[in-house]
Amino acid sequence: MQNRLQSLSIANIALLALIATCASAQAPYKAPRTADGKPDLNGIWQALNTADWDIQAHAAAAGPVFSLAADFAIPPGPGIVEGNEIPYLPAMADKHKQNLANRFKDDPEVKCYLPGVPRATYMPYPFQIIQGQKNILISYEYASAVRNIDMGKPTPAPVDSWMGWSFGHWEGDSLVIDVTGLNDKTWFDRAGNFHSDALHVTERYTPRSADVLMYEATIEDPKTFSRSWKISMPLYRHVEKNAQLLEFKCVEFAEELLYGAYRKKGTGPNIGK
Amino acid sequence: MSNRFVAKASAVMFTVVPLAGVLAAVPAFAQSQGKAQTALFAKEAAGKASAAPRTPDGKPDLSGYFTTSTTVPFERPKDLGAKEFFTPEEAAAYAKRSLAAKAPTGPGTYADVHYDMAQFGLEKDQNKVSTGIRTSIVTGPEGRVPPVLPAARQRQVAKQAANRGHEFDGPENRGLAEQCIVWNGAPPMTAGGYNSNIQVSQGEGYVAITSEMIHDTRIIPTDGRPHVDPSIRLLLGDGRGHWEGDTLVVDTTNFSARNSFRGSDENLHVVERFSRPSADTLKYQFTVEDPTVWDKPWFGEMSIAKIDGPLFEYACTEGNYGMRNNLTGARADEAKGIKPNGRAALGE
Repeated sequence: MQNRLQSLSIANIALLALIATCASAQAPYKAPRTADGKPDLNGIWQALNTADWDIQAHAAAAGPVFSLAADFAIPPGPGIVEGNEIPYLPAMADKHKQNLANRFKDDPEVKCYLPGVPRATYMPYPFQIIQGQKNILISYEYASAVRNIDMGKPTPAPVDSWMGWSFGHWEGDSLVIDVTGLNDKTWFDRAGNFHSDALHVTERYTPRSADVLMYEATIEDPKTFSRSWKISMPLYRHVEKNAQLLEFKCVEFAEELLYGAYRKKGTGPNIGK
Repeated sequence: MSNRFVAKASAVMFTVVPLAGVLAAVPAFAQSQGKAQTALFAKEAAGKASAAPRTPDGKPDLSGYFTTSTTVPFERPKDLGAKEFFTPEEAAAYAKRSLAAKAPTGPGTYADVHYDMAQFGLEKDQNKVSTGIRTSIVTGPEGRVPPVLPAARQRQVAKQAANRGHEFDGPENRGLAEQCIVWNGAPPMTAGGYNSNIQVSQGEGYVAITSEMIHDTRIIPTDGRPHVDPSIRLLLGDGRGHWEGDTLVVDTTNFSARNSFRGSDENLHVVERFSRPSADTLKYQFTVEDPTVWDKPWFGEMSIAKIDGPLFEYACTEGNYGMRNNLTGARADEAKGIKPNGRAALGE
């Protein structure tokens, strides 16, 4: 009896070990490598969510121009903020409300301004990673926005800018990018979520499968938030044949909003002519 | 920002680059100008072995920061006639004069109305700039862009006439650069008034060229794919690359007629060749054709100098106070019964 129990438990242990082996074989994905042995993130990527409308959970709503009906209504989404809470300092909550109320004239995106980081990642436009050894270029279709990720030794940002000052390094299969030098003029979304020029973003791009990257960004800004917080989402590869970024040069689409009040009476825009 | 330019002020590059590898043969070459151009390009196409650095995937490494700023004029000054090459001594003297020349600063000039370039470190002699023994970037016996065909000239005249008297009606009348829509990011890549800095990035199967001015990026696949559908017209064009030895050859079509280069129309076709004869230099050649504008292709060649970088962010529309000021100024004039002066704003 004793022996039989013992052998049974040994069999159980062996079975458990087998199950554990199977499980672990599925867990870590190892990305294909570039010629210099780094995870290959080259490709055209895009988020498939509605975070650009609101990074927090939100229900569907009518669009800003009611006559444009269903085509330009606001799509719902579960949000990308971990825990769904943005920890604004008490004094900052009013500014968010004010931004939200004026979003269709104050949002930097409505003016075709550069979107900043992390917002550029989850706008409804693709972006392309061109991965070199010393630098990684991230080129966004929206407004020809571009970031150079320097893979060398980080230096302090010489001046604040819309797209920030980025240094990258590899942690296992993850590309980790430290972004500083961001100005206080960009928003996180069309819902008026904002930050100050103390914003510090740490991004992680981790391959999950051949055609999916997991994106995570840690947001720190002691002038605006009481603690750091995180967003995360998958980014999907454009797998269609010969995918490429086209031009979305939106400046002229925003000119009437920006300069319409100063044009000669009786004249109108002639976009595309 | 000014720190960067102060730091660079001492870094004016003064190398005379033997662009076509024909320095020793200049006098003979210059005498046979008539057939020089095609011969030059055929020679270059062979792609000679060199010690060009490689990317990890074995391609020539063209990456880095560069400037398209040069002392070589785009078109040959008329007083030089058919002289295609300087001697090295003449080239050095010409470059020195070119760098010493300052834009006028008197009342009503660009510096007076807009700003003094020197104040912001934007004069050529405050920045790195390449020189060369060519008397013009445009190659060939004339050294000038050929005249446009009569029909093309008519179209240009009609277009200009349509805008005359309406220059300040609205933003769309001001031109693509002033609108912050496109600057000098499209091929062929030539210098603008200032900040003519570019960054070349390379990933497997792609080369990207980012211009500092309004952060335009050309992304050039090198996998042999076809151009996009002809219905898609692009301000920067649609570039396709391939490697010929150590040379990157880029074929660009699908241009928008709105972004005209020296009179070009939407049939513009640009072929560029980039190589790196030394760590500090890119050799850049281009051919330009547009059968609805010119009756023959024309050619250019220049040296592109390496700079320390980085590129700074030229956020353009984000700070385009000039647009609002120009339009409000015109409305104020109208209110006083003053007609718009009919001139494009000074400068670009």
